[in-house]
Amino acid sequence: MTQPPVRVGIVGAGIGGLSLALALRERGLQADVFEQAAELTEIGAAIGLAANAIREFARLGLVGELAAASTIPTELIYRHWRDGNRIAAHPVRQDDWYAKQFGAPWFGIHRAELQKILSAAYGTGHVHLGCRLVNIIEQADSVVLEFANGRTHEADLVVGADGVRSVVRRWVTGADDVVYSGTSAFRGIVPTENLPSLPDPDAIQFWMGPDGHLLHYAIGRNGESVNFFAVVETPRIWRHDGSVAEVADEVPVASFRGWHPAVTEMIQAASSPIRWGLFTVRPLLRWYRGRVVILGDAAHGMLPHHGQGANTSIEDAFALAGLLADARGDDLEATFSRYQALRRARTRTIQRSSWVTSSLLHLPDGPAARARDAKLATVPQDFGWIHEYDVQQALEASGAASVGHSRNETR
Amino acid sequence: MPPDQVLAAMTEILGGVAGIDQADITPETSLSDLGIDSLMMVEVVVAAEDRFGLLIDDDDWPRFKTVLDATRYIGRAAEGH
Repeated sequence: MTQPPVRVGIVGAGIGGLSLALALRERGLQADVFEQAAELTEIGAAIGLAANAIREFARLGLVGELAAASTIPTELIYRHWRDGNRIAAHPVRQDDWYAKQFGAPWFGIHRAELQKILSAAYGTGHVHLGCRLVNIIEQADSVVLEFANGRTHEADLVVGADGVRSVVRRWVTGADDVVYSGTSAFRGIVPTENLPSLPDPDAIQFWMGPDGHLLHYAIGRNGESVNFFAVVETPRIWRHDGSVAEVADEVPVASFRGWHPAVTEMIQAASSPIRWGLFTVRPLLRWYRGRVVILGDAAHGMLPHHGQGANTSIEDAFALAGLLADARGDDLEATFSRYQALRRARTRTIQRSSWVTSSLLHLPDGPAARARDAKLATVPQDFGWIHEYDVQQALEASGAASVGHSRNETR
Repeated sequence: MPPDQVLAAMTEILGGVAGIDQADITPETSLSDLGIDSLMMVEVVVAAEDRFGLLIDDDDWPRFKTVLDATRYIGRAAEGH
C-alpha cells in the first residue's frame, strides 16, 4: 500500500456508523465518527441481529460478547390475534436450526447493549460526541464538515450514517425523501414474569390481526424480558415533528381492544404512552454526490417488518469498507458507484418487501388472511435470501477482495 | 425505447420470477394468473428498475394488473428519462 491514508469522516455513531468504523479498521483504514448526541445512548428498544450481520461481527471476534448480552428465540411463531391459535411455527434455537441453515445465529439484543459493545470495540479516541452537523463544504481535494458547536473536520470522504432523517442525505439528493408509512407503533420491554397469559415467552412471535400486529421476542442475558413492537394502521397523517408523539395513557391498550389477553397484558404492563410514527426513505436512484455517500437508514430507511433495518446497515458498512480498501487509486466516484451497484437492489427489495409484509400482517379474518396463513408454512424458505446473504461473498462476486473468513482475530 | 423491446424485457423478467415459459406470456396475461403475488411483484419491480435505470413509484406498481399495464408504465417512465 503506497497510497496515502484515506481520511474518512462518518456522520452518526449509531449501529451503522460504528459498524463502518470497525469495518474500516479491519481493512486498515482510519475513520473519525461524529455524533450529535452528547452521550452514546441508544433509545430504549431492542433489535434482532440476524445471520447476515452477525457473520461480519464474528470475524471481528465480537460474537462471544454479543451472545452473552442476547437471547436466541426458541421458535418463530405466527398467531391469530384473538384466539392465539398457532398458525405456523418454525424452529430457531431448536435443533440449532437457524444457525445451521444460515451460518450464524439470530440474537435478540437491547440496542444500548449492542452500541456499548461496538463502541467499546472501536474505542473512544476517534468518536466525537456533541457534534451536530450543520454544513458540508466541498473543496478541490477534500470535504469539510461543519458542526453546530463550531468545530470543523476535513476528510477525504464523508459517510452519512445519520438515520432516516439524515442531514447528509438531504445534501446528497437535495430533497427530503422521508415518507410516513401510515402506520405507527407502541413498544416496550416487560419482565417476562409479568406476562402470565403469554404462551411461548421464549419464542419470537407475530400476533396478526385486522389493521395491526404485535411482534415480541425475549432479550437479556437470560431472556428475562420481552421486547415488543405493536403496530397499528393509524394515524393516516403524521402531524408531529419528529417520530415520537405522546398519547393518552389508555390509547396503546385501547388500540388492541378485543385481542388475546397476552397482547393487551403486554401493552398494559409496559405502560408507555408513546406512539412511534413509522417512517421510510423513498427508494433512491443515487446514494452519493462528490465525496459524500450515505448508508443504512439514511440510504434506505425501511419498515421494520423483516427486522432488517440495522442488519442491512451493517451489511452496507462492511461492503463499503471492502470497496474503499479495494479502490487502489480508483477515483472515489467509481468506488461509490460500485458500492451503490452492490447495495441498492438488495436494500430496495427488502424495503419494499417490508412494506408489503406490513399489509399482509394486518389482514382481517377472511380468505386473504387464510391465503397468507397457508404461505407462512414456508417462511424460512421464502425469506432465506435475506438471512443467507454474505457480504464478503457479494464483494468477491463483484470483483473486490473479501476478508478471509478463517482469519484468526485477536483483540 | 421501442415498446416491443420493453415488452420483451418485461416478459423475460416476469417469466423468470414466476418460473413460467416466456412463450406462455402474452400482453393480456394477468399477473395473478402468472402466480405473481405482492412479494414476488417486489422482485419484478426491482429487476425492471435496474434493467431500465429508473424508479417505479410505490404508489403505482401495486396497480399493475396485466403484463401490458406494467409494460406501458415502464415504457412511459423510460421515455421520461
